[in-house]
Amino acid sequence: MNSAYKKEIRYTLLFSVLLLLTGHCGLFFVAFPPLRGHMLFGFPSQFIIPVLMGWIGLMVVTAIQAKLTNDLDDEIEAMEDVVEES
Amino acid sequence: MEKQQWALEDPTIGIIFVAVSFIFFYFIGWYSARAAKTSTDYWTAGRSIGSVTNGLGMASSYMSLATFMGVTALILKLKVPFVYMWIQFGLSIPLITLWYGTPLRRLGVFTPAQFVRERYGLRTSYVVAIFMVLIMVMYAIGQMIGVAKVFEMLFGVNYTLALICGGALIVGYVAIGGMYGTSYNAAFQMVLMGIAFIVPLGAIMKGMGSSGWYFPPLLYADMVPAMLDAVPDFFDMKYGFKWYFALIPTLTIGAMGLPHLGMRIYTASNLKSARGAMVWFTFFCGITFSATYAMGFSGVFFQATSGAIIAPEDYDKITLILNSVYNPPWVLAFVIAGAIAAGLSTISANLMAIGALIAQDIIATIKPNLDESRTKVLNYCAIAGGGLAAILIALNPPDFLVVSVLCAFGLAGVTVAPLVILGVWWKQANRYGATAGTFISGILYILISPYIFPDFVISSGLQSALGMSGALLCVPLCFFLVTTVSMITNRIPSLVKHIPLDENKRLVDSIHGWTVYNEERYNSTMAGIIIAAVSALLVIYAILPGGWVA
Repeated sequence: MNSAYKKEIRYTLLFSVLLLLTGHCGLFFVAFPPLRGHMLFGFPSQFIIPVLMGWIGLMVVTAIQAKLTNDLDDEIEAMEDVVEES
Repeated sequence: MEKQQWALEDPTIGIIFVAVSFIFFYFIGWYSARAAKTSTDYWTAGRSIGSVTNGLGMASSYMSLATFMGVTALILKLKVPFVYMWIQFGLSIPLITLWYGTPLRRLGVFTPAQFVRERYGLRTSYVVAIFMVLIMVMYAIGQMIGVAKVFEMLFGVNYTLALICGGALIVGYVAIGGMYGTSYNAAFQMVLMGIAFIVPLGAIMKGMGSSGWYFPPLLYADMVPAMLDAVPDFFDMKYGFKWYFALIPTLTIGAMGLPHLGMRIYTASNLKSARGAMVWFTFFCGITFSATYAMGFSGVFFQATSGAIIAPEDYDKITLILNSVYNPPWVLAFVIAGAIAAGLSTISANLMAIGALIAQDIIATIKPNLDESRTKVLNYCAIAGGGLAAILIALNPPDFLVVSVLCAFGLAGVTVAPLVILGVWWKQANRYGATAGTFISGILYILISPYIFPDFVISSGLQSALGMSGALLCVPLCFFLVTTVSMITNRIPSLVKHIPLDENKRLVDSIHGWTVYNEERYNSTMAGIIIAAVSALLVIYAILPGGWVA
């Protein structure tokens, strides 16, 4: 099995976890009540952190995701003539 | 203050703004559709849409009428839990792109149902296509009803006339424009609705005394102390872990099954452009969603601090009410035009998906050798027919269809997403597993919704009404059935001989971009066992009582 394949699987799982963390980080505040009630930028933490993660955090993760998966596509295309051993 | 239902005082400017916007929509649809030379061009906009336009279009098909009406109403009712519910919608396009957008684009298909046909065969694709049409009808009907209600309020006509006129206008520009027109219109509508929503919100916040009016989506912290005094429970979580966890199968995985979102990836000029569009999508989505929370916050703040009492039936008009209080009439008219643009962008995406499902996945499969001119007529008829059906159903909709749009997400998560995800990433998924998974889980999801048999449910309250408890059970059930049935039937020679197993495996490799086949890729039995085991545990978790409330 070549490294591009392993990288593809790794990226897919890694970015799925990161995306879920950005869009569902409110779950941490439900699971761990002591995290709630702290003020950040004038808002309660359990409100502003999920809002910012769901926007700015998500943008950052998707920008990295786009860059790395584009590079991976190039890598797979470059391997076009390689015959692998099963 | 006396509690009374809100009504638009002078609709004239609103009518002018809406009329002008429709002229623009028709012009953009007609002008851009001239580039469509073939049926593929019609459904995919010639795969030529740039990343910014596509990002706007992706965000636009998400900014439904709910952005202006339903979301703010639900923030008024549910407060912060609803914000949590909405935040995760930004994950949809990135997850679709990551898990199956690019492979399906490589395959050259228009809809996830087409992928199901290529991967699992014709019979499974019919089952999925029927569920998809139901999902899109549920989705489109809610939007049609919403647009009709705005037309009703604006023109002072009855609901039936508003629905027929509004619906016909929408179906007309979508059919004329195809995916070219829909994409460019969606981009224009996103800009229009973004400005119409965010700029007036700044004026509203300034009127309420906020110093952060120049950037409404995030800068309203100075209103928080007054809000906490007036509504101490605004930032409370209210629900339990299970409620928030259920958002993942219902809405996050659900959105991955929605055909009209996936279709946006197929319009991109290349894969890199599709990924660029995904980043733009998160920006446009994030800024508008954050403004929506600010609008909902302002609505609650207004009600709590001004002494005004908003009638519950007017909760969905809070955006319009705030604009009528703090802004001049022409701004309110502009906001109404923005609200209609929001509804239109979603309906047009729904109609494109319904049209593609009917024309490409059902009729083109039955009659594969239609010539180009007949196919063109078929494309127009498919969209017009889908639109007409949505209008007719919305005239007197059956109760089970007028459920929340969120139930449509759940059904998509149950019946479509697992098949596509496993079909792309696991060679061992076969048609027996796929058909059993989608059929059994889909039917069970419908049966345990409170709209069919009110006593045959696994939970009650909001989580049941929005399809969250049903999706928490049925999404993992579908994953469990697809994996276990596939693994079992792949070991029964009399069944395997009916499946083009080798062809399917090569298809999986090729859509990931590999030109040289390798049997070991995407073919782990252990992965199948792990998915089945985790899914079984989640099914048990869903059935166990409790955990929904804090």
